[in-house]
Amino acid sequence: MDRPPSLARVKKEIETIASLGYKEMASQFPRDRSIIGFFCPYVPEELLHAAGSLPLRLMGTPIKMSHVQAHLPSNCCHLTKSSLESLLQGELDFLQGVIFSHTCDSMQGLSDIWARQRRFPIHFNLMIPAHLDSEHSRFYLKAEMERFKEFLESHLGKITPQRMKASIQLFNRIREKLGEIYDRRRKGVASLPGPFFAQVIRAGYLLDRERYLELLNEYLSVLPEKTEESENLIPVYLAGNMVHSESYFSLVEEAGAVVVQDDLCSGARTLRLRVSEDLDPMEALTRRYFTSFFCPTKHKGCRAHEETLLDDVEKSGARGVIFLLYKYCEPHYFDTPDLKAALESKGIPCLLLEVEDPSHSPGQLKLRLQAFVEMLSPI
Amino acid sequence: MPEHTRQPNPYREIESTRAYRRLMTAYYFMVKHPKWFGKKVAWITSGGPVEPLYAMGVLPFYPENYGAMCGAFRKSVPLCEAAEHKGYSRDLCSYALTDIGSSFTGKGPLGHLPKPDFLVCGNNICGTVIKWYEIQARAFNVPLFFLDTPFFHDQIHEHAVTYVEKQMEDYIAFLEKQTKRSFSEERFQQVCSRSFEAINLWKEILELSQQRPAPFAAFDAFIHMAPIVTLRGTIWAVRYYRKLKRELDERVRNGVGAFAREEIRLIWDNIPIWYDIRNLSKMLSSRGAVLVADTYTSAWSLDQIDSAQPLKALARAYATIHLNQGLEYKIQKISNLIERYAAHGLIMHSNRSCKPYSLGQHDLKRAVTQSTGKPALMIEADHTDSRSYAPAQVEKQIQIFLEIIKGRDQT
Repeated sequence: MDRPPSLARVKKEIETIASLGYKEMASQFPRDRSIIGFFCPYVPEELLHAAGSLPLRLMGTPIKMSHVQAHLPSNCCHLTKSSLESLLQGELDFLQGVIFSHTCDSMQGLSDIWARQRRFPIHFNLMIPAHLDSEHSRFYLKAEMERFKEFLESHLGKITPQRMKASIQLFNRIREKLGEIYDRRRKGVASLPGPFFAQVIRAGYLLDRERYLELLNEYLSVLPEKTEESENLIPVYLAGNMVHSESYFSLVEEAGAVVVQDDLCSGARTLRLRVSEDLDPMEALTRRYFTSFFCPTKHKGCRAHEETLLDDVEKSGARGVIFLLYKYCEPHYFDTPDLKAALESKGIPCLLLEVEDPSHSPGQLKLRLQAFVEMLSPI
Repeated sequence: MPEHTRQPNPYREIESTRAYRRLMTAYYFMVKHPKWFGKKVAWITSGGPVEPLYAMGVLPFYPENYGAMCGAFRKSVPLCEAAEHKGYSRDLCSYALTDIGSSFTGKGPLGHLPKPDFLVCGNNICGTVIKWYEIQARAFNVPLFFLDTPFFHDQIHEHAVTYVEKQMEDYIAFLEKQTKRSFSEERFQQVCSRSFEAINLWKEILELSQQRPAPFAAFDAFIHMAPIVTLRGTIWAVRYYRKLKRELDERVRNGVGAFAREEIRLIWDNIPIWYDIRNLSKMLSSRGAVLVADTYTSAWSLDQIDSAQPLKALARAYATIHLNQGLEYKIQKISNLIERYAAHGLIMHSNRSCKPYSLGQHDLKRAVTQSTGKPALMIEADHTDSRSYAPAQVEKQIQIFLEIIKGRDQT
């Protein structure tokens, strides 16, 4: 007999997985399932899933750095350093492998350093082209996707067309449900605290994906209605180079704002990665990276980032934009000055917060956020 | 252990330097006044394919080369600060900050430079150039051609080389549109032939320093590399390197080295520290140490050139340069350099601005030391921005490093 949907039960499961460290997480997974790590949406999770593995996104942790200095200079971003530290401390030993995708120079360097550790039988570099605005790059990416598929099959077993179709459908449904959650949050018709919302997003990269879809469906059916308090929160747009984080969403809400939309690569940006279910699966998986999905490590024309962001911010109804950036991220820091200028020329105020994880000065961040939100508030 | 005594170690000036200065002065004069010569100007990355530009009569300008000049003239810091004042993070590449700062202040050594007609960017050196050139394309409101060269972590994938070849065809079409001229296969063959000759000459020049004593130090190569970067494809680069090679061949015949004393031979890894070349050279040479080879200048001795099909050959050559290959390749290359040049050790510049060069250096250092038995020293700096540099500390590190080598030699 199906249990009635329960907000409490959904919250407990989401909160549990989203707050576990890697070592505690390891015991949650079935022993006969391959767990494959990856860093970003340029890795097609659908293929990993169709190969029978559980794709687990490595999103950085507030780990104390003690080994990484022997391999990396200090001017690398949090994701790079903390992931390598986790590897070196043995926290990722439950993985069968990691898939790197070509994005920035730091990840490029990290991949080779990681490979030399020889911890896992599976290590693959998916060389997504940097130029995503050309027919030649589409052809090249298709060849890379085929190479990736062959690699997975040689290590994990045959990926049948049926399994590919099923995986594509599953991830499309997940994106649809996340889109609904975003929609209801933006329209303010549901009360969805920011920190828990961030956990919902993160859980989607850690849980068995079939179970995650069940949870999303259950959650949507029991979402509480908007409360009076949420009426007074100032809508803001969150741009940045980090994944959804409870602590930063919490800081934003404590300052009196609500994130109505974001372009974080763990969240709203991935909703643009819907895979066509009418095409050949490998063709469809390739083509979706040539749509409106944008990452600043890629070139889609000199104004692509500005155009994508401006359009998204205007549609979101946000009164201001918060750039939340981990230090030492070249792609984002090169783009930010012109992005800010473009937004401000349209009358959209911006705030740039440079952060580490864990934050070294949460008090200062809070003050700056409060001042910004106050500036956005109606007189 | 006593400090290895600093003693005078006369440096032998390269006579061809006079010709070098005339050549580069002429080049920068053309860069400042391209319209006087009826030239369109393209700003291009150092790893970008320049041969089609010269074949189409376009003058290439290299912001990185200019950044090196700014660093050498110690003018980079105020330009970086100007870019930072505009909102760019200090943690970004100092070549990029120097170029951005120079573009809107006009305060580099060449003053205000004429606006480029278009930009050409190849990411075989790094991903930073993509963002840098997008910024400049917006700032100047000019077209940008981007040549995407996928990185090779462990092996060269032929479908990636094919991808680069296809883009080279697009590059030619782009140049035809920008110059309103048809591409001449004959002219291109001529330019490529000169380019390949200059590359071979440069390679041979660098290899002369396998001799003992080395006739040409790496610090000389850092200066004399300018024509192979900026004038590759022209007859001037060929003539200059023929002249330089004649002079250096003569040195080899006479057993004359770049320095009077050469007791310790070293390899340099990464981009030079442009604002401290002279000082570093003295620091080393006064202790009998000479840099005989490096991983930077040899980046312009392209491998794998098949001159029968120049466009394809260029695609492969540019796709497979040093910086576009993974850590295992770099370890092997540096181990090989140490062996071929009979080096006693390796100095690695941990360059704050350059991640493709600097990430992996710790592992590289351990691997190379293990495979060759030679020690390595890592010094932290930045190639253009002297704010991140502590010369007294570096001198101490070098002193200790050379004492270790000398001590090992004696045992």
